[in-house]
Amino acid sequence: MKVELFGFLQRATGCGRLELEAPTVRHLLEALVVRFGERLRGELFLPDGNLRPGFTILVNGRNIVFLKGLDTPLKPEDTVSLIPPAAGGQSHALCSYR
Amino acid sequence: MPKVLVVDPGKCTACRRCELACSFKHTGEFNPAAARLTVAAFLDEDYYLPVVCQHCDVPACQEVCPAGAISRDAKTGAVVINYERCIGCRMCVMACPFGGADYSISEKKVVKCDLCGGEPECVQNCVWGALEYKEPEGAAWSKRMDIARKVQASTREVL
Amino acid sequence: MYGWVGRLLRVNLTTGECRVEKLDPVMARDYIGARGLASKILYNEVDPQVDPLSPENKLIFMTGPLTGTSAISGSRYNVVTKSPLTGTIAASNSGGYFAGELKYAGYDGIIFEGKASEPVYLYIENDRVEIRPAGHVWGKTTHETEDILKSEAPAGAKVACIGPAGEKLVRFACVVNDKNRAAGRSGVGAVMGSKNLKAVVVRGTGGIKIADPEGFRQAVKAALEKIKNNPVTHGGLPDYGTAVLVNVINAHGAFPTRNFQTGVFPGAEKISGETLAATYLVRKKGCLACPIACGRATLVPEGPYAGHGEGPEYEAIWAMGADCGVDDLAAITKANYYANELGYDPITFGATLACAMELYEKGYLPAQDTELELEFGNARTLVEAARKVGYREGIGDLLAEGSYRLAERYGHPELSMSTKKQEYPAYDPRAIQGIGLNYATTNRGGCHVRGYTIASEVLGIPVQTDPLVTEGKAGLVKTFQDLTALVDSTGICLFVTFALGASDVVSMLAPATGIPYTEEAGMLAGERIFNLERLFNLAAGLTRADDTLAPRILQEPLPEGPAKGRVNRLDEMLDEYYRVRGWDEEGRPTEATKQRLGI
Repeated sequence: MKVELFGFLQRATGCGRLELEAPTVRHLLEALVVRFGERLRGELFLPDGNLRPGFTILVNGRNIVFLKGLDTPLKPEDTVSLIPPAAGGQSHALCSYR
Repeated sequence: MPKVLVVDPGKCTACRRCELACSFKHTGEFNPAAARLTVAAFLDEDYYLPVVCQHCDVPACQEVCPAGAISRDAKTGAVVINYERCIGCRMCVMACPFGGADYSISEKKVVKCDLCGGEPECVQNCVWGALEYKEPEGAAWSKRMDIARKVQASTREVL
Repeated sequence: MYGWVGRLLRVNLTTGECRVEKLDPVMARDYIGARGLASKILYNEVDPQVDPLSPENKLIFMTGPLTGTSAISGSRYNVVTKSPLTGTIAASNSGGYFAGELKYAGYDGIIFEGKASEPVYLYIENDRVEIRPAGHVWGKTTHETEDILKSEAPAGAKVACIGPAGEKLVRFACVVNDKNRAAGRSGVGAVMGSKNLKAVVVRGTGGIKIADPEGFRQAVKAALEKIKNNPVTHGGLPDYGTAVLVNVINAHGAFPTRNFQTGVFPGAEKISGETLAATYLVRKKGCLACPIACGRATLVPEGPYAGHGEGPEYEAIWAMGADCGVDDLAAITKANYYANELGYDPITFGATLACAMELYEKGYLPAQDTELELEFGNARTLVEAARKVGYREGIGDLLAEGSYRLAERYGHPELSMSTKKQEYPAYDPRAIQGIGLNYATTNRGGCHVRGYTIASEVLGIPVQTDPLVTEGKAGLVKTFQDLTALVDSTGICLFVTFALGASDVVSMLAPATGIPYTEEAGMLAGERIFNLERLFNLAAGLTRADDTLAPRILQEPLPEGPAKGRVNRLDEMLDEYYRVRGWDEEGRPTEATKQRLGI
């Protein structure tokens, strides 16, 4: 599926778009952590494993809170958009240079 | 070592919260004209610099004061005015090359930064760290790191 | 008085008389300041049926009790008048440094009456007030005007002025202060131009008194912590500016494209806040007292669109970009510089050009009527039109009337994407239902900063509501509209509400003024102000029929994207909205409502 990264995630990962395959949103986020490093986990999740408040994930433009949350299933033709809280980040630890 | 006001113009956004907070702390009113510091904002050139009293090691204001009213506060290291001795001659205003001392129209006296007794109100109101209250060493170190980052980034673009 | 200076300046441009009046403390308590207080004065003093561009209309500059203090983002003033674009009450809000300076000079606001016989500007240096000739700056851009008038004033003076667009009565001309801050919408600059008033220059060295200094200091400190800990106000907005929304809204399929023909723009990434930050952004910039700093100092270093200035921000990028099908960020930035320097609203301009492009595409606007190639996506046309409209030159003269009058002239008013003749901003109400109700009911026509339900429907602030659902949106819109009226009237910036609620606002307002505003009292004041604006509009001749949306929004389903197949279901929301507002079926505040609000 197509994955779109917005806001500071673009700087943090050095890309705005990529292709990844995963059965659910949760698996997709795990795959991103694997690809971009463990520090990304802190940007996405609270210590208790829940998504950071204000972090928005869209599947085909629809907020996953109106779908099945992190367990929303994904199909290869889907587009997933990852939007940090109004695209601002909790920290900029991941950005190599600002 | 006493702390000093450290200015980083690159972090300033020209919001002037420092001027507002300073005037409020010292006069009880919001009046940037009475602030002990000024953000020199050259808006057309995108350059903003908070200009503050440097609390110099050898203060010109202190040297020039005929009444011996200016001295260094032992606790904070701030160069301060003793109003019991100040005669209002404004020699300090003339002598300071930074505009650190000024005659305040609203207060009808000569005023300058006193570091708020060690808790500078301007610093507490600067969310970007353009004004910091800290020990002075290490400024060059972070600048050197910054320039190294830029060299790294431009090298990456080339390679 | 505390918070307020307690003095208003009344300037009669016909007679040349300048008079200082005391601010009525009861009126100030009930209508607070800025948008609310100025609206009350307009309501009391101006016949709502007046021709907006006649000397009988008044033009009011008003600050709020928190303006010029260290309250979070306390930089704002409102320009209130009857709008030449909409025929409704206009209240346009601007930041920068001008408004604080006006209070330091000793005035909460200025009421302009009449019309000068020749171009003039108002000069204020504390108690010294003079009407001075402005022939030498007439015709100059806002930037030139500011530079020239500052050279005639003491150091530290601030300037608010109109550009050529205001002089030429462009119906969406704005009042520009500090070069790049604008009371942007509804054509308040045209009213200023109609009075032959080019500028206001002010220098003030006095102070603003606070009722409870320590209480105020603590409240500001607490609010500042919330701003610093919020990822929007201390992350997204300062890092990327408002344009951070380009990608977000486009991903929702709510990014109106080619005059709202679709909600997905393929070129979004090229004109996004992320791209702006990586290309033309020089540094972020804050208005007076603002810890957020969404302002963008930008530089296009070379090429045909080289220039230097501020912006563009989200709405401008959208209007002159996606809505016109343009994905060239340098061209959009250049057009935005024209908007700042010639002095007009880039939202209405971009949307009007988009409307012209669709009229042209459909063959309604014949090629012989325009010297520009009006096909969608033409960046050169955008930049040329941006210059021409400021001077009413060529096709610019038609564009200067706004999209409704343009489309009507060519027999297709339905192609104007507007309500009450003011163009919508950058959120498609077919994909985000609540914002449609807000567009339909705001008192200055199509507008997002009167009830920004996007915060809830898209960004999840303070709670996530479903953008595709109409249920519950009537109450949501009312709450946002009333809160906005409160915030706008205090003199702080609406953007604080990403991190602060009504309780935080009154926590600063109460110690500043010494009036024990509670959250309820603050929200009630907001509701009072909103209803007063409504009463002005009803007296001006507006009816329920004006609380609607463009036919396309109500009838033509979105052709693609997440909201494909959807229209805005305004009829499911409007009656309920009237009910929660305490209005009758025709949208008139009932006697009981007026009594409850003390109007």
